[in-house]
Amino acid sequence: MSGMDLLWLVPAAPLVGFLILFVLHDYLPKTVAAVVGAGSVGVSALAALLVGIDYYEAGAEPTWQLLWTWMSVAGFDPAIRLYLDGLSLAMTGVITGVGFLIHVYATGYMWNDHEEPEGFARFFAYMNLFVFAMLMLVLGDNLLVLFLGWEGVGLCSYLLIGFYHQDPANGYAARKAFVVTRVGDTFMALGLFLMFRELGTIEIQESLTLANAQWSGGDTTMALIIGLLLLGGAVGKSAQVPLQTWLPDAMAGPTPVSALIHAATMVTAGVYLIARMHDIFLISPEAQLAVAVVGLVTLFIASFTALVQTDIKRVLAFSTMSQIGYMFFALGVGAWSAAIFHLMTHAFFKALLFLSAGSVILALHHEQDIFKMGGLWRKLPIPFASMLIGSICLAALPFTSGFFSKDVIMLTAFEHESHGLVFWGGAAIAAFMTALYTTRMMIVVFFGGQRTEAHDSSRLNMWGPLLVLCALSLLGGWFGFGVVAGVLPDGGLSEFSHFSPVAIITMLMPFLGIFVGWLVFGRRIIDVEALAASKAGNALKRFFFGGWGFDWLYDNAVVRPVMWAARINKGDIVDWIYRITVAVTRGAHHVGSLTQSGRLRWYAANMAFGLALFFLIVLGVIG
Amino acid sequence: MPVAVPIEHVLALAGLLFLLGLIGVLVRRNVMFLLMSLEVMMNAAGLAFVAAGARWGAPDGQIMFMFILALAAAEVAVALGIVVQLARRFESLDVDNADEMYG
Repeated sequence: MSGMDLLWLVPAAPLVGFLILFVLHDYLPKTVAAVVGAGSVGVSALAALLVGIDYYEAGAEPTWQLLWTWMSVAGFDPAIRLYLDGLSLAMTGVITGVGFLIHVYATGYMWNDHEEPEGFARFFAYMNLFVFAMLMLVLGDNLLVLFLGWEGVGLCSYLLIGFYHQDPANGYAARKAFVVTRVGDTFMALGLFLMFRELGTIEIQESLTLANAQWSGGDTTMALIIGLLLLGGAVGKSAQVPLQTWLPDAMAGPTPVSALIHAATMVTAGVYLIARMHDIFLISPEAQLAVAVVGLVTLFIASFTALVQTDIKRVLAFSTMSQIGYMFFALGVGAWSAAIFHLMTHAFFKALLFLSAGSVILALHHEQDIFKMGGLWRKLPIPFASMLIGSICLAALPFTSGFFSKDVIMLTAFEHESHGLVFWGGAAIAAFMTALYTTRMMIVVFFGGQRTEAHDSSRLNMWGPLLVLCALSLLGGWFGFGVVAGVLPDGGLSEFSHFSPVAIITMLMPFLGIFVGWLVFGRRIIDVEALAASKAGNALKRFFFGGWGFDWLYDNAVVRPVMWAARINKGDIVDWIYRITVAVTRGAHHVGSLTQSGRLRWYAANMAFGLALFFLIVLGVIG
Repeated sequence: MPVAVPIEHVLALAGLLFLLGLIGVLVRRNVMFLLMSLEVMMNAAGLAFVAAGARWGAPDGQIMFMFILALAAAEVAVALGIVVQLARRFESLDVDNADEMYG
């Protein structure tokens, strides 16, 4: 049997896991739930590995696996068909591989959960459903299946952010994430409708071929509109400016959720979407430029915001936002493969960072404020070591995985035909900021005086995944983009000299950031507290802390007016139409029921009266 | 040769009887009188049939009267059962007591 035939098993295993856990969640012992929950993703990862090996042995030719026809209506017959090429294989590898490690970690993290002790099986049910939906998103061969997966991951994100549902604030965060991403999804749905109307097909590969044939070299307006609409969807899902406000609040969910959904996989769906639809963006350079600008603005804003956060998970959330900004930026400047490569390496090191942050949080009994941590490196050696490795990858020190991917992005940006210097400069400043906030986080959390007691109680199922992710983060850069070569137009990494001035400055930026960070937060040559307490400093700090006022803006421009209108219209004006109908019917019923007195003689009299009337009419006396 | 009664007279008598019976049904509350009034109404109808049959020399009118007799017998059988039930449940023969089924 060919390994490729196992492709269906990749999404099927988590689906089966979800069904078992969801139906039986009250009856399964924790051990069984853990085995089913993590095991199903493990089976999926194993199947993905076999499929991957087979795929490369067979010469890396894109293949399909038809499962069944979804529906067949008047020539419109979308199929549930899985499409395997380098891009979807890379995504599948990340989702199942990193997903499996996070699931294993979560069996330890959620074991003695203080807030939802009964929710263990439910947690894994949602996680498995998420993995299934995400796999359908990346493996789907037509836009309908892609959209199904797209909305499925949104649902799971909602369910898992609001997992600790006892606290209304978490429910609010979940709703916020759902509603904000829905804004993007609406754009995306419009884009898909438009594609279907213009091209008449929902098969992705076919539609891209048609798009090239129809628009390339001619009028590209339609490609621009579709590109921008798709970008709108990607922006919502991937938490990019201007729809980024939901991601920091999404940290209300359990930490493994943040690692899996809000760092490694779901938030990169937007990157996948644009990479999958890259022909549209190649046809319309304006749309591609918009992608680059969105990415650059996001990575800039988010890296400044991360610098002033006090919650360790929010630091990482803004960091995720800015790293995805790098991916968008890469797509925008044409470093297609590098974007997917960065997606992969980012999945490794950001999952690592989140999971080690989770270990720290658990050891401190759910303390997330970094200023209450301090001096933990002795007490928590494994989380410290793994977080350190994650941090150097995030800061992109040479020869870590983050370095390989980010370097290509920056150098490709520099060669951009029109805005090279601006793009490269912005990205370089953000790289400096990345190193700076990472250093700040490490110093505040792990060095200095200890402020809270820590008890590391993690077992093999928690530090095992950390070690594997450490290895992946450090070595992940070496297996390069071989995985994504060929599907995306640049055909892999173009070779850059590492000794040009630009390359050297790019490489030095993280070191500069770390050095400045060490001076400021370690040696304290500048009194940061005094600076932040000064009037201008405080205003700036609050501006950064609030995410550059986006939340404030949306609250006042959207949320408040809508809430106000809802309050005014509490009685619901439209409902009056239906209420009147009901009242009229009721009245008629009362009048009618009066004739039914139950008296025999009354009925007889009516009969006689009716008969008399009938005779009079027949005789022509009346009527 | 007996003197033939004009049909108009017979029909006028039948109509009068029918009206009397109807008024009886509407104004009497005692179920026994109600049934008797019904009987009068049926006989008025029967009389009209017989008179019409005699007028055209056809047997149909008399056959219809046989049916009416059978109908009256059946009606009495059922109605007496109702009368007994009424007397038992309400301890009176007033039909207006049995006005609970309405609305």
